[in-house]
Amino acid sequence: MIRFENVHKTYKTGTDALRGVTFTIDDGEFVFIIGKSGSGKSTLMKCITREERPTEGYVIIDKFVISKMSSALVPVLRRQIGIIYQDFRLIETKSVEENIAFAGEIIGVPRKKLHQMVDIVLGAVGLRDKASSMPLELSGGEQQRVAIARAMLNSPKLIVADEPTGNLDPETSESIMALLSEINRNGTTVIVCTHDSNMVDRMKKRVIEVDDGLIVRDEHGSGYTAEDKTALPKSMIDEFVPEVISLSELEEEEETLPEFPPNPGEDEEEEK
Amino acid sequence: MSFRALKNSFKEGLQGIVRHPLVTVASITTILLMLLLMSVFFIFSANARYIMKKVGQQPPIEVYMKLGCTQEQMDMVVSYLQSSPEMIKGYRGFSPEQNYTRFRTELGDSASILDDFDYNNYLPYTITIQLTDPGYADEVVLRLRAIPGIEKVMQESNVMKFLTRATKTVNIATVVAFAVLFLISLFIISNMVRISVYSRSTEIAIMKFVGATNGYIRLPYIVEGAIVGTVSALCAWGITYLAYTEIYERAMKNVLTTSVYALLPMRSLSVSVLILCLASGIVIGSVGSGIAVRKYVKV
Repeated sequence: MIRFENVHKTYKTGTDALRGVTFTIDDGEFVFIIGKSGSGKSTLMKCITREERPTEGYVIIDKFVISKMSSALVPVLRRQIGIIYQDFRLIETKSVEENIAFAGEIIGVPRKKLHQMVDIVLGAVGLRDKASSMPLELSGGEQQRVAIARAMLNSPKLIVADEPTGNLDPETSESIMALLSEINRNGTTVIVCTHDSNMVDRMKKRVIEVDDGLIVRDEHGSGYTAEDKTALPKSMIDEFVPEVISLSELEEEEETLPEFPPNPGEDEEEEK
Repeated sequence: MSFRALKNSFKEGLQGIVRHPLVTVASITTILLMLLLMSVFFIFSANARYIMKKVGQQPPIEVYMKLGCTQEQMDMVVSYLQSSPEMIKGYRGFSPEQNYTRFRTELGDSASILDDFDYNNYLPYTITIQLTDPGYADEVVLRLRAIPGIEKVMQESNVMKFLTRATKTVNIATVVAFAVLFLISLFIISNMVRISVYSRSTEIAIMKFVGATNGYIRLPYIVEGAIVGTVSALCAWGITYLAYTEIYERAMKNVLTTSVYALLPMRSLSVSVLILCLASGIVIGSVGSGIAVRKYVKV
């Protein structure tokens, strides 16, 4: 479960990217995060992957307050989240197989087991025959499939995709979203940040719309644009007060939360 | 860090060297030049200390006993010299007869003028003293002068003071020069490696996003730097060895190895220079690379 509690993020420049975001995503959900450019949705995603730390409020994943966790534990968190980007982010000097295996190598998965795991995820994304190809030899869709395979390797409970179809044609986008849907059907929580209105309309999943650092819509089975009966009028946005746990209550709760568990056998270096 | 991760780091480190040959050559050359400078300074200061030590140990203090001094007075002087091993490295006494023989030897062909010389009436007992450190000269002279039966104590105090000061100056200058050269080379290397790290910044970011620790990301660069440092160190040592051997042979052609001014041979210096080059090269290379990659692991 992912929980945002009154999350604020103000950058050093003074920009208020998030202004009190509160929502909960249950295990196994498929959620679209939508909004205009500069609305704060990317900051929201970055708070999940701990690329950014909220200036106020809490981000909790499975009872672990990741917004307060030590920097040394961030790599451990990221190994448990599959991250997919618009620009694929594959290492060009490594083959497809090596790119995927890399996610397992860093946590010390034995070579034989790792080879089997890579073979399974390559099969899942339909690229078994491209294992020895280099990323630049693949099409955009194939590269994104490799990125998905890499994200799937450590069987994460959560996959975060930032504009996964932004660089792809509609047909390829369809297949990528079908793949993410399939992953979701197997129990993985999938959060997709997108501008692809057709895709959102067609898939009818939960939609969280962000505008000016606030959540203006949170609907299940919705489309890209708000339906009148559920959308908040613009005038009410600033007064939108979601049901929240009080901060003092949360602080008490935090004290009882366990430490984020490091991977066994893995030495962590304190980030300076 | 697992063994496989270490093995991968070495593999990646070697690949990094091959991937950016120009940066590698530039880094090796920079470290090599720095290590050559360090080696030259080290050899110079080692020789300076060696010569000063030898000069300081030459008999700089000579004690002249009174003519007709008693055996008891002689024993008091010897007793003092034996009781201060921390200051007195050694001493040697000369009887009037031995002094006479020395004079005759020094006079060479003119020695015959001393044929009828009654040395027992004119030549005293003398003692030459070697100190462990020229800095003790004043104290030793003061104590000797307080012993009865001593006519006079000769010392080259100015030379001694100069040697004391010079030894200290060379030691301090060596440490300062090493520190300055070390910092300069660290700065140059970290900036040079930053170029190759920058070209791989996307790769580093990807590694961070899939959960690699800072240590895991840094290690290949540190290994790469250490390899570059090792190669530079071996080259610097080789060049220093050949150059100094040549200089030594030319400079020492007409100087006895037992002379005060004899230089240290390369065989006495080679291990120290090798250790100095390897330690400095590896530290400069690996720390410089580690610093260069530091900025890019903060993702």
